[in-house]
Amino acid sequence: MIQMHALYVFLAVAGLLVAIFIYVASSTRHARDIDSHAAYGIRTKFFLVLLGVLVVGLGLTLGKTPYPKENEIPAKVVFVVGKQFSFGLSDSPISNDEEYESSTYSAPVQVPLDSLVEFRVTSFDVNHGFSVYSPDDHLIAQTQAMPGYVNRLRVRFTQPGRYTVLCLELCGMGHHRMRGVFDVK
Amino acid sequence: MPVPATAAPLLSEAEALKFRRMTLIWGITVLLLLPVLAALGYFMRLYQSEAFPSMKPEWFYAVLTLHSLGMVGVWFVGSMAGVSYLLLRYTRPSLRISKLNYWGTLLGVVLLIVCTLGGRFGTGWYFLYPLPLYSQHIWSPATTFTFFVALTILGLCWTIWCLDLLRAIAQRYSLAAALGWNYVAGKQGPEVPPLVLITTVSLIVGVSGFVAAVIVIALFAARALGVNVDPLLMKNLTFFFGHVLVNITMYLGVAMVYEMLPSYAGRPWKTNRVVAIAWDAVLLLILFAYFHHLYMDFAQPTWIQKFGQICSYLLSVPAGVVSIFGTLLLVYGSKMRWTLASTLFFLGIMGWGIGGIAAVIDSTVAVNFRFHNTLWVPAHFHTYYLMGVVLIILGFIDHVGKELSGLAENPWRSKLTVVLLLFGGYGFLSMFYWAGANSVPRRYATYPHEAAQGVLYARVAVGFITVLFFGILLYLWETGRRCLKALASA
Repeated sequence: MIQMHALYVFLAVAGLLVAIFIYVASSTRHARDIDSHAAYGIRTKFFLVLLGVLVVGLGLTLGKTPYPKENEIPAKVVFVVGKQFSFGLSDSPISNDEEYESSTYSAPVQVPLDSLVEFRVTSFDVNHGFSVYSPDDHLIAQTQAMPGYVNRLRVRFTQPGRYTVLCLELCGMGHHRMRGVFDVK
Repeated sequence: MPVPATAAPLLSEAEALKFRRMTLIWGITVLLLLPVLAALGYFMRLYQSEAFPSMKPEWFYAVLTLHSLGMVGVWFVGSMAGVSYLLLRYTRPSLRISKLNYWGTLLGVVLLIVCTLGGRFGTGWYFLYPLPLYSQHIWSPATTFTFFVALTILGLCWTIWCLDLLRAIAQRYSLAAALGWNYVAGKQGPEVPPLVLITTVSLIVGVSGFVAAVIVIALFAARALGVNVDPLLMKNLTFFFGHVLVNITMYLGVAMVYEMLPSYAGRPWKTNRVVAIAWDAVLLLILFAYFHHLYMDFAQPTWIQKFGQICSYLLSVPAGVVSIFGTLLLVYGSKMRWTLASTLFFLGIMGWGIGGIAAVIDSTVAVNFRFHNTLWVPAHFHTYYLMGVVLIILGFIDHVGKELSGLAENPWRSKLTVVLLLFGGYGFLSMFYWAGANSVPRRYATYPHEAAQGVLYARVAVGFITVLFFGILLYLWETGRRCLKALASA
């Protein structure tokens, strides 16, 4: 899971930083003069290493953004509307409150396993966060549901089961109970 | 080689006394608000621990709004008051403007309390358009109006304060000098302390953020008059303002460390070419790094999202290479006087660095896709706030309290304070990090079964916050006494 990898990277780098701070603080027990020329040399090396790490990081991650690629054709399109405090999901476009109400009560939408699925996400009122949780409760994908805009989120599901949509953008007093569901088969 | 700048007429002893008194009043006010606002955070984690099962969730969101706006505001004015005091060594900030800000800030805070605890206004700090207008009958239109009046008062006062400090700097330094361009060009020019350089950079950025906030408020007013407003534009403006306000608060804190830590380490810390280039780079990069708040708005052009990640990554270079490395170099092997203040400065820079690492990770689009609006976000900003700039400002208040009261500190109580703050603070933060990595959402009054483990993290966090609170109370007892004695004799 990418989240745990990120946590371990954070703990490793933060731990290194803390160790350096402890080392520097303990060095003041025995005061000594420092060679500023040598120190600036270390700073230059540190600068180059940090810059190198960041450039490599950019190179590895900038191509892995979740935004839709024009050359990909989704196998299935799901239309999504967020409104205080529920998500409506439907196989057909939702263009008014009546269709929205109907979509919140109808049977869960079904999407195919191992195929590219596109969610066309918008809102009829305020900003919501369309956040997809897997059957084992991990956040696997998200986009914002914003009034006046349609955000296209593309996901390839590799695990069958019932997925839950939670709202991750504060949208009012019912924010924490706003949800939607769909099935992957 | 830098040469001394043209001397501005500095304050008379009587004026300096008044300024010291004003600084103490600011410091004591910050110390009074700290436990109150921290208690609101304590309440939220208790609420998420299911300690108040019969209390309606709108109270959680109202408290969330007051806690976040209050904390951001208190540490901003705390850093401004600190920088104003330290700038007296080089310039003449206006005492009247500082007083105007004091009363304006108090009025704004009172109105915010009325809106949130009285009117249950619960949009979070960012009042994201158009949520304030969709209250579901929880808060009234009058409350929304009062909220925007409060923001307008605070925004106007703080803009005037920023402009006044820039005016004071401009009386002694040209803009080019204050931005260290003579150092960058390798030319002869006035000697510019890092405090002046960093303050200038921060306040220029700060004014641009406040302008964005004014536009947001004006567009809300336009919407109330029936004008169509673009939600994506509003989001960009809101996050630009919020990002800038939080970041300049940290930078002003770092500026204070540049100015004060050398007196404890017994070594100078001066502006040079690398320092000037680094902070000028911050001035540019900070304007575009805020795009990382909008990664999940797929309607935003992709090239802007990628540009946001590049700027966010690069922003860590000047901070890491110059300020954090500079702090370590200043302290390494020095005859450091370890007091409560100097320890908090040192630890504050460390906390800034740790929070920065988590922030850079989250500013990666591919990672943010899984972290956005989970508890990873409050994890990293609480790290560089609570364990960063807050420690620095608490160090500053302690430094001033000791300097002006003459009361010595008790080394054992100081050590205990630091241990409690570190153990309680980082323990509290660790629950945010673990929860974020396990997909627990932020800003949830209660957790659905998909995020049920959030309750456990909140309960453990409550234990750590209790320890943190003891640390805060011990700090308040020690430093508060010194500040009150100094105020009585000022």
